[in-house]
Amino acid sequence: MKEKTLRTLSWGWWLKNLVTNKNNLYTIIAIVFTLLIIGVLNNTLDNYQIRIFNLCAIYIILALSMNLINGFVGLFSLGHAGFMAIGAYTCALLTMSPEVKQMNFFLKPIVPWLANVQLPFPAGVLIAGIMAAVAGALIGAPVLRLKDDYLAIATLGFAEIIRIVFTNLQSITNGALGLKGLPNTVNVWWTWGIAIATIIFMILLIKGSYGKAFKAIREDEIAAEAMGISLFKHKMMAFVIGSFLAGVGGALLGHLMGTIDPLMFRFLLTFNIVLIVVFGGIGSITGNVISAVIVTIMMEILRVLDGKMDFGFIEIQGIPGLRMVMFSLILMIVILYWQRGLMGTKEFSWSWLGKISRRVVFRTKDC
Amino acid sequence: MAILKTDNITMQFGGLTAVSDLKIELEKNQIAGLIGPNGAGKTTAFNMITGVYVPTKGKIFYNDMDITMKKPHEITKLGIARTFQNIRLFKELSVLDNVFVANHLRLKSNWVSSVIRTPQYTLKEKEMHEKSLDLLEKVGLIDVKDEDSYSLPYGMQRRLEIARALATKPEVLLLDEPAAGMNPQESQDLMSFISRIRDEFNLTILMIEHHMQVVMGICEKIYVLDYGVTIAQGNPFEIQNNQKVIEAYLGVD
Ligand SMILES: Nc1ncnc2c1ncn2[C@@H]1O[C@H](COP(=O)(O)OP(=O)(O)O)[C@@H](O)[C@H]1O
Ligand SMILES: [Mg+2]
Repeated sequence: MKEKTLRTLSWGWWLKNLVTNKNNLYTIIAIVFTLLIIGVLNNTLDNYQIRIFNLCAIYIILALSMNLINGFVGLFSLGHAGFMAIGAYTCALLTMSPEVKQMNFFLKPIVPWLANVQLPFPAGVLIAGIMAAVAGALIGAPVLRLKDDYLAIATLGFAEIIRIVFTNLQSITNGALGLKGLPNTVNVWWTWGIAIATIIFMILLIKGSYGKAFKAIREDEIAAEAMGISLFKHKMMAFVIGSFLAGVGGALLGHLMGTIDPLMFRFLLTFNIVLIVVFGGIGSITGNVISAVIVTIMMEILRVLDGKMDFGFIEIQGIPGLRMVMFSLILMIVILYWQRGLMGTKEFSWSWLGKISRRVVFRTKDC
Repeated sequence: MAILKTDNITMQFGGLTAVSDLKIELEKNQIAGLIGPNGAGKTTAFNMITGVYVPTKGKIFYNDMDITMKKPHEITKLGIARTFQNIRLFKELSVLDNVFVANHLRLKSNWVSSVIRTPQYTLKEKEMHEKSLDLLEKVGLIDVKDEDSYSLPYGMQRRLEIARALATKPEVLLLDEPAAGMNPQESQDLMSFISRIRDEFNLTILMIEHHMQVVMGICEKIYVLDYGVTIAQGNPFEIQNNQKVIEAYLGVD
């Protein structure tokens, strides 16, 4: 009884703390403001632009999930496409209507236990994340004992195995034919809602004691272990959380595209995310959010490179893949001249903004 | 009763026997020294005690508990902390965070409570923060608490490594060449600092040193290793006059 009152009291104190802290208040205002902007954009952008806008949010989720594993804990994991595939297929199979499933599976009928399930979209997304997390736990247990390059090869292998398994599980995944007609449930509220939730989650996780333990592991594994930090437990934790988010991102991506097939989850997809993470700064949440938006939009702008180009005096036939070549070139230049990405490991904070604005104010006063 | 005891531990790397049949016994609140020329096997002995290596042979007891097969983080949790010969700070973390993160092992909340900031977690985090500041105050690093740890001068980095080890709340502290790279005056200061923290934190200390002179004034008991073999042990006076030790240090056959 007494303990219960103590607990409710302290939760009251917790809530009071949340609203009375000035920075928390700023953050809440910023979130409301962002939601307003999203609402405005949702009503002004055309369909094609909305699609890119959604993609930005999805890539924020994916970049942050990879950043947790590769940026904060310093693991060299390249298995993202595998977890995304698990998420995308799980959500698709759980939310498609029995009729659409029947139309898809014309070569070989779908297994009976999946034929008639149809869950609401949020449940599908959640289970997609959980399935990816379970896969993360299963694969993590053996491979997280490996170091650097070995871990990269093992996770890369895992992602390829998932893809090949999915290509061959005809009666569950429809094999190479893929799945068409995923419910058109994704909108900006889903993608950006989950993206904002992911950003807040990551900030709270990284700022806390566990986040510092992750960074300690990244800086020096031997020293971290000597400080009593269990390497395996913390690596596993980050890997499983990261896999969960990758699964959620994969599910959203699948529904945004409306169509999924195993080819979509090649290494190229993981490479895109690596690119965002490196470009934004390995180990910076702020940098990754900014870079996810920039890279996604750039990818679309550079799409013209893959098509026919008419410069008036000369016409170039489209070279498929030129876009990726350009992008890789940009990445190489960034790495060469700007080794730590846009932000390095730095983060945006309200006190930092305060400092900058004071400086600007002082400058203008001086003149 | 010995707080830490190694029972004839041996470490072989392929054909090389880095440490053979090492027998150390530390009494509570003792300061002991492990000395010997380069490559004698001193750091290897530390690595066995702290679980980095599993001894090829022999057993290690801490408060009569067999810890031979335990992992490094478990051993730290039990109460044995260490520093490193080549400083191993968390470079990108601030001085304060280096100490803060060494409190993490005693955090009871799980990661979910850390994300939603439960009252219990918030209180604990505040306590960890205050304890870290307190510790930095005690070791004289409070003025540089917000600096990146790699930007500190060498002597301060060594001190920070000790502070970080202390933050894990050890009973036994192992120091691997804490005076390396210091001039005689700095070494002397460090030695009085070490005996001060022994009293203040109620520690038992085992310290590796390359130079015999540095530890003579502070250690109550000294073990001398040469090519992995314990060639002498005793109090400083006995060691100084031991023929084998003199030969090992002067390189006489
Ligand atoms: N991991 C290892 N693998 C192989 N040989 C090692 C390893 N660690 C130490 N050694 C060897 O063991 C011997 C003792 O090394 P060490 O304990 O570092 O000496 P000290 O600390 O006394 O200078 C050296 O010959 C060293 O080369
Ligand atoms: Mg050594």
